[in-house]
Amino acid sequence: MNGTVGGTVGGTVGGRVLREDAWGKVLGQAAFPADVRREGQIYAVAVRSPHAHARIRGLKLDEARKAEGVVAVLTSADVPHNGHGVLYRDQPVLVQDHVRMAGDPVVLVGAETLAEARTAAGLVEVDYEVLPGLFDPEEAMKEGVPALHPEIHGSTNIVYHLPVCKGNVAKGWAEAEVTVERDYQTQMLDHAFLQPEAVLAYVDERGHLVVEVATQYAHYDRGEIAHALGLKFNQVRVKTVSVGGAFGGREDISLQIMAALMAWRTLRPVKMENTREESFHSHSKRHPMRMHYKTGATRAGKLTVLEARIVGDAGAYASWSPNILRKAAIHATGPYEIPNVRVDAYAVLTNNPYTGAMRGFGAAQPVLAYESQMDLLARELGLSPMELRLRNICRVGSETATGQVLTGSVGMEECLKAVKSYLGEVSAR
Amino acid sequence: MKKRGRGLGCAWYGTGYGNGFPDVSSAFVEIHDDGSVSVLTGAIDVGQGSSTIFAQIAAEELGIDPEEVTVISGDTDVTPDSGTSAATRHTYNTGNAVIKAVAQAKASLLTYAARALHCTTADGIELKDHKVRVKGEPSRSLPLAELVSKARLEGERFLGSDSYTARTTRVNPETGQGAPYWPYAFGSQVAEVEVDTETGNVQVLRVAAAHDLGKAINPLQAEGQIAGGIAQGVGFALLEEVRLSEGRIKNPTFSQYLIPTVLDMPEIRAILVEEPEGTGPYDAKGLGEPAMLPTIAAIVNAIDDAVGVRITSLPATPEKILAALAEQSKK
Repeated sequence: MNGTVGGTVGGTVGGRVLREDAWGKVLGQAAFPADVRREGQIYAVAVRSPHAHARIRGLKLDEARKAEGVVAVLTSADVPHNGHGVLYRDQPVLVQDHVRMAGDPVVLVGAETLAEARTAAGLVEVDYEVLPGLFDPEEAMKEGVPALHPEIHGSTNIVYHLPVCKGNVAKGWAEAEVTVERDYQTQMLDHAFLQPEAVLAYVDERGHLVVEVATQYAHYDRGEIAHALGLKFNQVRVKTVSVGGAFGGREDISLQIMAALMAWRTLRPVKMENTREESFHSHSKRHPMRMHYKTGATRAGKLTVLEARIVGDAGAYASWSPNILRKAAIHATGPYEIPNVRVDAYAVLTNNPYTGAMRGFGAAQPVLAYESQMDLLARELGLSPMELRLRNICRVGSETATGQVLTGSVGMEECLKAVKSYLGEVSAR
Repeated sequence: MKKRGRGLGCAWYGTGYGNGFPDVSSAFVEIHDDGSVSVLTGAIDVGQGSSTIFAQIAAEELGIDPEEVTVISGDTDVTPDSGTSAATRHTYNTGNAVIKAVAQAKASLLTYAARALHCTTADGIELKDHKVRVKGEPSRSLPLAELVSKARLEGERFLGSDSYTARTTRVNPETGQGAPYWPYAFGSQVAEVEVDTETGNVQVLRVAAAHDLGKAINPLQAEGQIAGGIAQGVGFALLEEVRLSEGRIKNPTFSQYLIPTVLDMPEIRAILVEEPEGTGPYDAKGLGEPAMLPTIAAIVNAIDDAVGVRITSLPATPEKILAALAEQSKK
């Protein structure tokens, strides 16, 4: 890479110091959770629902229990406190009766070898009553639609709504001489970290449960494991090994509690390791968002008003959805001063894969909308995209749509000026 | 025909947990006999390089090299809770906690050093180049290791433990009014793309990326964040999509869920803009998440500049671009 400004070679703060883990990673010495093992370990495999919405009528576990090498077959009945989640404990460790998304774990099989665990998992029979699913958030937010988590959110699937109101939008429209109105849509994304989830759990010589895992927050994992198993925090040790990418996809619990439960029940070290396919089915995704934007500006190129409606698909479990749609609402204007604003952001439960944290955390999706609007407005106004932005960006002392006054470091103008020469002559529009 | 265009994208990002939630980072510090240091924090290095940043900060405070600082992280039996590796918060939030914890250990060290060097006040002592010395009288100094070792034999201990909490208020749930995040990071990128009007394929040729990160504690890592951010931005804008059928994922493999490879990566010009953030460690704020945000818009706007079609639904696949071009030619 070239063209960096600032920084010296070597030194401390401001220096181009080599990462402390660089050589270990380059030489293949770094231990990722898939690499750690322990004498006498068994393997656990989760049986996951292929259906997005179903009732479980019954389980047939005898064949699996009798299979070669099987040590234990566990169900929801074996989980002391069957729930986890960053905001609500709405996600079961093992589903008891209500499957809300494809990939929900139902049964956990532990066996001497991975092959035996997978074979036995294939012998588990789950009797599903498949239910009609909600797959469209606009549909799921309507009144009278069955609620997916009535015990937590009552009769609605809207887990969050935030209005952001500033100034007077009617006044803003009266002042607007140019209007651009569009619908935007972003897609569901996977974090696609290179290292699928893996975990090693065992009971140590003190009788404490140790969980070695790649996570973004060991202390959170410890709390959720302790809660689910009914242990004290000091009886659970979560130890982080090398993390092969995260990007938000390792914030929710994945295999940690299941592996810990199997280790606690069998007193054997337990290894779990997702295949890539299992990984896709088991961690959160980026919220697809539908965004309706209507932006007004004067002929002089000053933004006067924004009205926006943002609907995010939360999927089957809340995870961070309220925080993510809040962040979308707060960032919906982009880095621009707009005196009159009305934004409504909603997070809606469906039977799609659950969505949660991913790099950008709700501030990513609106970028498509607000920056497309800026280019479209610039065209309407006959201004360059650069010029329209320079006339509206936040500077020190600017007030955001939430009424926050930006008091300190606000480098938007410097960033714009730094890239100006790269726009070049090609960009007439 | 292949047509080129350039597009501009800007973005902002409020760092930290936000919305009045206590965003707390903590660190423990010990200075050893030989002047090397251990920093313990729950903050996990998930590849973004936080442990290296903390080592640099502690080293700067104590006048030693980053290699002399061991950062122990993410072990709940050993390290204090320092929150999630998320929200672009560790350099700013945990960096501040490390400074505060080091400052405690340093305060008792300076007090001891003032006596040892016959200086009237600890304020007159500085730590530089592995030495403890009197400000303005560099010849009056002792090697750090010698001083710490002597002090420890006399029963002194140089320890620190402290926390830092970011500034945030809860927004009003009826109006959204409040000061939910601080600080905010900003970025601006220009993408140059080449659109093949026969196939609809888009190649991103170049991206110039300017990001305001307050202060680049480690420019090498900052460039890495920008390169990684642009890669994910390219994937977001052009390639990636989890496809569902009745809630089931249809493409749960890397042969069907396409992420950018090195061949999809543009030439990158990373520009680090340093608008000092007074509340940050050495004026720094975060860069992790913001690095990918402007890419999305810069590419979509560049496609329009190249071929005059506005893509409003991501990813901007060849199919969508061909359909938009066909629509355009009807007009």
